[in-house]
Amino acid sequence: MSAAPRETKLSVHGLSKDFRLGSGETIQAVADISFDVRDNELCALLGPSGCGKSTVLRMVAGLEEPGAGSLMLDGKAIAGPGRERGMVFQSYTSFDWLTVQENVEYGMRLNGVPRAERRDRARHFIDLVSLGAFRHAFPIELSGGMKQRVAIARTLANEPAILLMDEPFGALDAETRWTMQELLIDILESTDTTVLMVTHDIEEAIFLADRIVFMTRHPGRIRKILTTDFKGGRRVADKEAVVGLPEYGALERHIMHMMREESPSREHHAAEG
Amino acid sequence: MNGAPTPRRPRWFEFQRAIPARASLALGVSVWIIFFLLWESAVVFEWVNSLFMPPPEKVLLGLWSLLVKDAFLVDIGISIYRIALSFALACLVAVPLGIFMGSFPRVEAFFNPLVSAWRYLPAPSFIPLLLMWFGTGDGQKIALLFIGVIWFLITIIMDHVKSVRRELIETSMTLGGNRWQILRTVVIPASMPNIMVAMRQMLAVSWTYLVIAEIVAATTGIGAVMMRAKRFLHVEKIMAGILVIGLLGLLFDFLFRRLHRLLFPYLESERR
Ligand SMILES: Nc1ncnc2c1ncn2[C@@H]1O[C@H](COP(=O)(O)OP(=O)(O)O)[C@@H](O)[C@H]1O
Ligand SMILES: [Mg+2]
Repeated sequence: MSAAPRETKLSVHGLSKDFRLGSGETIQAVADISFDVRDNELCALLGPSGCGKSTVLRMVAGLEEPGAGSLMLDGKAIAGPGRERGMVFQSYTSFDWLTVQENVEYGMRLNGVPRAERRDRARHFIDLVSLGAFRHAFPIELSGGMKQRVAIARTLANEPAILLMDEPFGALDAETRWTMQELLIDILESTDTTVLMVTHDIEEAIFLADRIVFMTRHPGRIRKILTTDFKGGRRVADKEAVVGLPEYGALERHIMHMMREESPSREHHAAEG
Repeated sequence: MNGAPTPRRPRWFEFQRAIPARASLALGVSVWIIFFLLWESAVVFEWVNSLFMPPPEKVLLGLWSLLVKDAFLVDIGISIYRIALSFALACLVAVPLGIFMGSFPRVEAFFNPLVSAWRYLPAPSFIPLLLMWFGTGDGQKIALLFIGVIWFLITIIMDHVKSVRRELIETSMTLGGNRWQILRTVVIPASMPNIMVAMRQMLAVSWTYLVIAEIVAATTGIGAVMMRAKRFLHVEKIMAGILVIGLLGLLFDFLFRRLHRLLFPYLESERR
């Protein structure tokens, strides 16, 4: 990919969010989150569970109101959910009553894309995620990995400005997960999509992301923003090759170290001590 | 000795162990055979007075005579008409209301206090009132059947709509769906199979109220025929009436199941 500086696609500035619990007390889920996602970039939000990754992503999606801060996509303020910020969830969200083809057409149908164009574009994206043989199958007949592929195809076919993903491969078994990770890289290479993705899996973040926003918890804050320059500005769709690089190991150890400092068992020891 | 494992002796009773389809059928048939044998014996050995408890074959003859001599089919038709009309009216109100209450907490907050209160009022307690308002005609029966099922129907449908997974709704939001589109393309299709099940279950309740309505004050319908048979001590005709109600209940249940399979073919996972 070119070395020319890419334009900012998504800009997150000073974002905070409190939740009021049933007991009446409020907890600060995330505080003062600022980062950018550049055009065509895959940015990963990484951090231990409960550090507020999903909360940040949901605010970007417009599914959650920010407590404070600003969110801009292509220079325009974000208000509420919209088709330019399509989201893929960890849990399966295929519409069981629609076939694979109809699922992928769904977003385009909402947005009034003409029938013929809808059909062709859905076909294209179904082929892209290698589900051509299952076009007329219902989701109940598909495996978990296939359902996530439908969700990805459905979101991409709707042409979002940015693709949001919340641990999309978190529910899959290890083998399916890395197949899906490699497939995602292939897809992104052929579609020029900007992605903001949440994960708690260090390996996944390093392999997939161009940039990693590492968060800590209580409250959720950004601890460090890391780049994966060692991949040479390219995305390599071969996980084995990436994991074998010495720089990969160094970065993984660095993140593991930060993650360990965050671990709850340490907090307990600290509190007891 | 070889190392082959000795098969464990099969036992009759195993926790939650599936049994072969043929065994299941054989057991299901035997319980009915035993039932009829006991009934027959009770009459033959005079454990009971056969005037009040005729044997099974007499009940069938009673049914035959009802059908041939007393135009029983007309009464059956009238009963079915009352069920169908009242149930259709109840669904016409309950389905949209339940969907809106389940979708929007504000709508629920408005209607639910009323609906939950009515749910605890036994419908038959309204019979005297309904008799005064509507007389002994169809209006009274249809009104009773209507208030007998509508409150539960609304509540059950609301609960099913509430349990539509939030991620499905949010997926549609991030694909550009507005509220009306989400209601039409996510909430309704996602909850429809469960709504149909709720309708099937409440239809069974409807039959209960129908019989009550027709026994209390009616000149037509299955219940009325049974009450007339009682006056003439035609016990076999009363039992024939019970038999017909049971069969109709089964038939409607079967039809609803078929309809369910027809409307929601995508739910059949065990196709492969
Ligand atoms: N709707 C909510 N109501 C109350 N607390 C919430 C809600 N959503 C998230 N939280 C809290 O905010 C914090 C961050 O949650 P989340 O964003 O889901 O973390 P992550 O995705 O990193 O695991 C957690 O402490 C969580 O309990
Ligand atoms: Mg999360």
